[in-house]
Amino acid sequence: MAKKNKKDSTRRNFLKQGFTIAAGSLLGGGLIAACTKEQGPVATGEKVKVLTADGKLMEVDRGHAMCCNVPSSADVRKGIPGRHFVMVVDLTRCRNARACVKACSKMHFLAPGQEWIKVFLMQDSEDTTPYWMPKPCFHCDTPACVNVCPVGASFKRDDGLVLVDNERCIGCKFCMAACPYSSRVFNWKAPDNQVDAKYSPMTGVPQKVGTVGKCDFCPDSFLTGILPDCVTACPNGVYFFGDKNEDVVTNGVESFRFSDLVKDKAAYRYMEELGTQPNVYYLPPVDRRFPVEEGFESVPDSSKAAYQVKRAHLKKYKI
Amino acid sequence: MNEEEKSIQNLTAYKPHLETISKKGIALIGVLLLFILFGVVCLYTQVAKGHVVTGMRDNVVWGLYIVNFIFFIGISYAGALISGILHLLRVPWRTPIIRMAEMITVISTMIGPSYILLCIGRLDRLPNIALFGRIQSPIIWDVIAITTYLSGSIIFLYLAMIRDMALLRDNPVKTAKWRNPIYKFLSVRYNDTTKQKELLNVSTDLLSIVIIPLAILVHSVLAWIFGMTLRPGWHSTIFAPYFVVAAVYSGTGVLIMVMWIFRKVYHLEAQITKIHFNYLGIIMIILGALYGYFTFSEYLTSWYGSIKWDMEVLFRLFSPGEYLIEFIFAVFIGVLVPIIIVTVPKFRNINSIAFAATIAVFALWVKRYLIIIPTLESPLLPIHDLRPEYVHYSATWVEWGLTFAGIAMFILLFYLFSKFVPIIPVVRTGEEKDYSRLRKVVFEKQMKKAIKENKKGDTITTGIVILLMLVASSGAMAQDDTQVQTVLKLEYFHVDSLQSLTGTLLSRQEGRYQPLEGMEINFKLMQGGTEKSIGSALTNEKGKVAMAIPEEVLATGGDKGLYTFSASFMGKDKYGKSSGATTMKPLKMEMSFFQKEQEKMADLKAFEQDKDGKWVPVEGLEVQFYVPRTFSLLKVGKGKISGGAASLEFPTHIPGNALGYLTLMAKVEDNEVYGNVEVSGTINWGKPLPPVKVIKRGLGDTDAPLWMVYTLIVLLSLVWFHYMYVIYTVFRIRHLGKQ
Repeated sequence: MAKKNKKDSTRRNFLKQGFTIAAGSLLGGGLIAACTKEQGPVATGEKVKVLTADGKLMEVDRGHAMCCNVPSSADVRKGIPGRHFVMVVDLTRCRNARACVKACSKMHFLAPGQEWIKVFLMQDSEDTTPYWMPKPCFHCDTPACVNVCPVGASFKRDDGLVLVDNERCIGCKFCMAACPYSSRVFNWKAPDNQVDAKYSPMTGVPQKVGTVGKCDFCPDSFLTGILPDCVTACPNGVYFFGDKNEDVVTNGVESFRFSDLVKDKAAYRYMEELGTQPNVYYLPPVDRRFPVEEGFESVPDSSKAAYQVKRAHLKKYKI
Repeated sequence: MNEEEKSIQNLTAYKPHLETISKKGIALIGVLLLFILFGVVCLYTQVAKGHVVTGMRDNVVWGLYIVNFIFFIGISYAGALISGILHLLRVPWRTPIIRMAEMITVISTMIGPSYILLCIGRLDRLPNIALFGRIQSPIIWDVIAITTYLSGSIIFLYLAMIRDMALLRDNPVKTAKWRNPIYKFLSVRYNDTTKQKELLNVSTDLLSIVIIPLAILVHSVLAWIFGMTLRPGWHSTIFAPYFVVAAVYSGTGVLIMVMWIFRKVYHLEAQITKIHFNYLGIIMIILGALYGYFTFSEYLTSWYGSIKWDMEVLFRLFSPGEYLIEFIFAVFIGVLVPIIIVTVPKFRNINSIAFAATIAVFALWVKRYLIIIPTLESPLLPIHDLRPEYVHYSATWVEWGLTFAGIAMFILLFYLFSKFVPIIPVVRTGEEKDYSRLRKVVFEKQMKKAIKENKKGDTITTGIVILLMLVASSGAMAQDDTQVQTVLKLEYFHVDSLQSLTGTLLSRQEGRYQPLEGMEINFKLMQGGTEKSIGSALTNEKGKVAMAIPEEVLATGGDKGLYTFSASFMGKDKYGKSSGATTMKPLKMEMSFFQKEQEKMADLKAFEQDKDGKWVPVEGLEVQFYVPRTFSLLKVGKGKISGGAASLEFPTHIPGNALGYLTLMAKVEDNEVYGNVEVSGTINWGKPLPPVKVIKRGLGDTDAPLWMVYTLIVLLSLVWFHYMYVIYTVFRIRHLGKQ
């Protein structure tokens, strides 16, 4: 079922109960930080009940709930005001469990073999250690893909996200050539098993033949405080996601202040020298929790050969 | 013999080609049409099945189509630069070849862009380019540049044809007479009066001045499509001039090939002589040397710099298993062989120069392949893919079919055009007298022979690769009918003043828990053996369902201050029934803020009911303090309630909203007695967020940088102003003809 349909059914449940649901409203402090209007949160005195991501009821002031409405269609291109979404990927925790890849592919109805998140076996040079590197779209602040798009189908939002409108995309693949991080995939044929949902660049479904797709950070669920699927799917808590303006990132279990985490763990951005200014930060793979060999457990024997590092300047990594 | 007589003589010589078509000619058209038909089949396959029928995949996103696109745009240079520059320099020997050069330009500028269309996944959305076009995108530059260039080339070709059209109007063709009105229309009443001649010359000069920088720009823009990306082997500052030089080189080569073919087929030995081959051969090898120089400079720079990404592309090019043979052909043979053939007098003759040109043209096609494919096969991140088509590009029969169809279309259009208009301008103009004298002898000798139809047939190479495609289908999943165990968890929440119950319904199958959606859950209050229903609701997609506890339920005092709630699921379909219960004691918490000198403090008070229903302070309860964020709660401290109170230093360093409003939450979590109780308060003690700035992203913005807009407007207006002026001149010529 489409993500959208699910939301509708959630909404129906509560309407049935007779609660006033501010559907999709942000909760708690997130709610307040989103209110960038000059006056701050204005209490109206009228309380509304809202459902949090973990399924508990809360009562918030209507004034708080209303100042961060579901973005209208025009806002799909502008994003959620006052936000700057970032991801921190902890390379010490990744063991190529591939739960993120599966969750993402399922959620976005990707064709077999298509991956919006890829997990790379990296080895920077001959003597350095190999490590697993999960790579979603970096949602760069100066995105090469957006620059070259002839029709504005790829666009950068003010909340940091780079999204693709596959109803506008003409399929020229220039963005795929321009992206230095191999983040984009193409629907080379008509995708099977698609849902009959209304398309939005925020959900990315249904996929369409002849258009480009890529990791979108699952922004349709942000408004209900739900983390991207890869983050929640990961068994090792590799991904930390959050709003840079709120200065907190979480993997669903642990929360850290973004500024502290980045500083304390010496985070870096992949190929910073390209000037693309990614919004995905990596924590270096020091003191890794899993030996790199463990990462091959989730790889079927028939696919292991794919991880032979084929770069001419690198020694082959023995599996 | 005056000029007019000479012109008529030329026309008489060419006319058999206009009026008759040999059987071999018809056979040629037939074969070409077959190729084109096969191309249509390929196109249909691609449109119907998607780009999956091509060899292109996520890494190598562009293949033969782009190679052909660059190739055809490249050979279009023949007309623009050769005829433009030769015209401006008044090079006397240019006349017999400029028509061919211009035709190469027009036809290849029409065929080239159709290859870029083949790369487009959604041809039905092409109008989006007009609707949402962003002039920051090099593709839009390309669209604008190529349409402008094609328009200019057509006008240029037409201007040079007006004199011939006038001559054909005065000497109509005898077969397929429907052409005569067209000749008449296109001749715009040109009568070779002094005024008309002057107008025509001025506009031709004007256009050849405009078309030269335009042609350079077109190929630069094409190079920038690649140069603007951050790919090894593409991201190079010399790419634009490199492409331009390579393009003129291949354009000259194609022009020599075309000259050689028409000379043979139409017996134009008189008009197209060794001089043309020699001179063009020299131009070609100069360009070839330049191309070699650029190539050397390009590869030397990246090899010497040895950035690892560049090295990876170079390794591919130098590896015998990969592209070494192609590289040697494109870079060494493609440059050295033409140079040796043309410079060594012993080797230099018409046929060898044509052979050298053929080598150059093929080498340049291969060079374009080497520019596109190895770079795309070397992304910055490794390819962990076992599907060979995702690792290495190899063109499919669809792509080859369309490649050959494009070449067939090129030949066909050229052939048909040569049947409509003399392939060699028949009307000579005054400035070429010297040259006319030079080849007079040959011409007269030729006239005696009279024109025969060609002897040699046309050979077409056929190479069709057919690949079989396997379609795999997947089986359906099996289902079992046994009853599935369910689990219902019940939790109590007390958020600020709202008290609620949350049930989570999960199914248990093969040791795995899955949320159940859309199941009805009944909530009840258990009191002294009696049950009191609170309500029922359906679970959401996470199997969660929430129910507020009405105030009156909690006013009952419970069972000695304790309340027991239960939730039950009656079972549905294959899912078995289950229930859950929770017992709790109401806890009342209040949060307040106070400032003591410099210290900003949050104060928490907690009360519980004693046996008499009186609210008394709580002792020794663990409480956690959080700051709620969009996706999680950030822990900022913890405390122990003593004497019914706890306090915390307010976390003033955490960002609030624009005015610094920050929510602090105190939470009692999963307590055996009190359940989950939380209370929060908001105050403007947080770090205020800086005001939202309007972010300028330059190229990434919806609007293009102003300098780019202005440059485009200025350039386009300059060019189109000249086009309009030239078109206006044509109308003036027509107007003058009336008098």
